[in-house]
Amino acid sequence: MDFVVQDEYAELQRNITDYIERELRPLEAELDPEKDDVPIELRDKVRRRSAEFGFYAADFPEDLGGSGLPQLGMVLLREAAARTGCRLAGFTVYGPEGPTGVLLAGTDEQKKKYLTPLITAEKSMCFALTEPDAGSDAQNIKTTAVKDGDSWVLNGTKHFITNGKHADFALVFAVTDKELKGSGGITAFIVESSTPGFEVGRGQIGMLEGEGQFELIFRNCRVSEDQILGGPENLGMGFYAAMQFLAMGRLSIAAMCNGIADYCVKLGIDYAKERQAFGRPIGKNQYVQGHIVDSLVELKASKLITYECADKYDHGDAVIQESSMAKLYSTEMVNRVVDRMIQVHGGMGWMRELPLERIYRLVRIFTLVEGTSEIQKYIIAKSVGL
Amino acid sequence: MNIVVCVKHIPDPNLPAEMDGKTLKREGVQGVMDPGDEFGVEAGLQIKERLATGDGESGEGEVTLVSMGPAAAMEAVRRGLSMGADKGVLVSDDVLKGSDALATAKVLSAAIQKNGAFDLVIAGVESTDGYTGTLPGTLAEFLGVPHVSTVKEIVSADGGTLKVNRQTADGYHVVEVGLPAVISVTAGVNEPRYASFKGIMAAKKKPVEQLSLSDLDLSGDDVAVKQEVTELSKAEEREGGEIIEDDGSAAAKIADFLKEAKVI
Ligand SMILES: Cc1cc2nc3c(=O)[nH]c(=O)nc-3n(C[C@H](O)[C@H](O)[C@H](O)COP(=O)(O)OP(=O)(O)OC[C@H]3O[C@@H](n4cnc5c(N)ncnc54)[C@H](O)[C@@H]3O)c2cc1C
Repeated sequence: MDFVVQDEYAELQRNITDYIERELRPLEAELDPEKDDVPIELRDKVRRRSAEFGFYAADFPEDLGGSGLPQLGMVLLREAAARTGCRLAGFTVYGPEGPTGVLLAGTDEQKKKYLTPLITAEKSMCFALTEPDAGSDAQNIKTTAVKDGDSWVLNGTKHFITNGKHADFALVFAVTDKELKGSGGITAFIVESSTPGFEVGRGQIGMLEGEGQFELIFRNCRVSEDQILGGPENLGMGFYAAMQFLAMGRLSIAAMCNGIADYCVKLGIDYAKERQAFGRPIGKNQYVQGHIVDSLVELKASKLITYECADKYDHGDAVIQESSMAKLYSTEMVNRVVDRMIQVHGGMGWMRELPLERIYRLVRIFTLVEGTSEIQKYIIAKSVGL
Repeated sequence: MNIVVCVKHIPDPNLPAEMDGKTLKREGVQGVMDPGDEFGVEAGLQIKERLATGDGESGEGEVTLVSMGPAAAMEAVRRGLSMGADKGVLVSDDVLKGSDALATAKVLSAAIQKNGAFDLVIAGVESTDGYTGTLPGTLAEFLGVPHVSTVKEIVSADGGTLKVNRQTADGYHVVEVGLPAVISVTAGVNEPRYASFKGIMAAKKKPVEQLSLSDLDLSGDDVAVKQEVTELSKAEEREGGEIIEDDGSAAAKIADFLKEAKVI
């Protein structure tokens, strides 16, 4: 076991930090600091520029336009980007609008047609699994796909879909066999947004202002059987495809949480040194130190859990338990850390003049998406036979 | 075309400078490739890429990085290689510690000549630590080739001629220079790329020749420091600036101020 960051990853971290500080800070300065919104055009500009430099989807294979960066490197890259605290940093590496590992289960043709333009950030997608009546219990989705000749006809409603309005295509999970459900009855379809019957419903605004998530409605939306992820022979295998690449998604969230926590702790330490009360810096008080020390210890633990998981993944381990642990711990950790750092800042922490208030709302999402904390605990319990 | 780019490893300019007597502390501090040299590397790479054949194969010639500095300066060479340069030469020698710009130019010219035939040498206008701005010109003199300073745009490079736009106080000069030549480039000449993971991994396999003074047939006398820093004092704090209250004539006053500063 090696606890030193390899020099190639350290160099990559420096490069993305330089890029963010030089190119994105000036763009960030043009945003209204008291509004959460980032215009979609700016998001796409940053995505494309970041792809040009090979940051955006570096962990995807080289022959598809990525850099073949191992997950440990990707985790460190994401963490470095998030650590800058720059509001545009999140778009330098792909999120739910970008390539999903699940598409690696596609046919060669599908990968070339759909995955490569996501990796180069020329296009964006959305992942359409959740429905009003099925979130954690994703096996219970109601959207159906019925075979009609050589094509499939989709009907149903998805909700909470990130980037639903702007996506060039959706990866839609639909029931193709009601009896089998998750064990061979759910199929993933690649549905282009221009397909008749693909409708974007209402926008759903959450704790962050802006576009939020979207409903997607499929009304007799007809796609050819070639749009089945992995080709017609992968009928019913949608769930298995998704499972295979869950670790990448969980690791990406963990890495982001670690970077955000790093940034917030740094703000807290600086403030504790500088802010005077009762004639001395507030950081001289043990209660204030406790907020910072607890955060530093938990952050270190979170990073190590994340790095170990990524390293194991790179060595071919399935990391089912490890990736759940990393996702669970890092997302809960960052919520505690931001909360404490607001406390360290006193009333100033609550004000929009500082970034902590926005980050507080932002990080609340992480214990909910990509499997809630409760679901991660369920997976971990199951991994030890409970 | 064989292009040589001079790169310097300097203490990270984003961190507070530490002094070692009257010179900058260079060892044991966080170092980076001089940000000004990234423009030089990018310029070299862009010329090479422009001359590349249509099918993406690079044309004849390569981009070589040349640096003088302590062993840690390898990091600056590696950064340039990660960006896409083909090979590196690093001159390191204890005797060179505390060298002045004249000695540096002498050593770099010897290293460049030892590296083989060259068509173009690119340097930054001035380093971000020493700021003498004398190196490119001195280097050209030692190499016996012309020098074009403060290049803000490279217009074309072919047929043994380089066409560039040269920054002046109130515009630019269009200059054509026969090759080989030395040019110094400004920070506006291009937008340097950032090395990707692919670039970083490829750089690990690229050759870097490490040379000492004796490899260059130079002696300690040849590079003896001829310049002495006699006094060092902190830069004066900037003054507060002038505040113009708007009594209806503020716009005109600001315009006059900008004209005086030759901004407009
Ligand atoms: C901002 C945002 C973006 C999203 N983006 C997308 C997207 O792009 N694509 C997509 O498909 N979905 C997306 N989602 C949906 C997200 O994945 C779901 O919200 C999540 O899976 C939880 O499902 P649910 O909201 O239906 O909650 P429920 O499943 O109803 O859960 C409610 C509560 O019950 C708990 N619970 C449920 N089952 C169990 C159990 N077995 N054991 C213990 N506790 C349990 C949960 O942990 C939770 O606390 C997004 C959601 C949000 C808020």
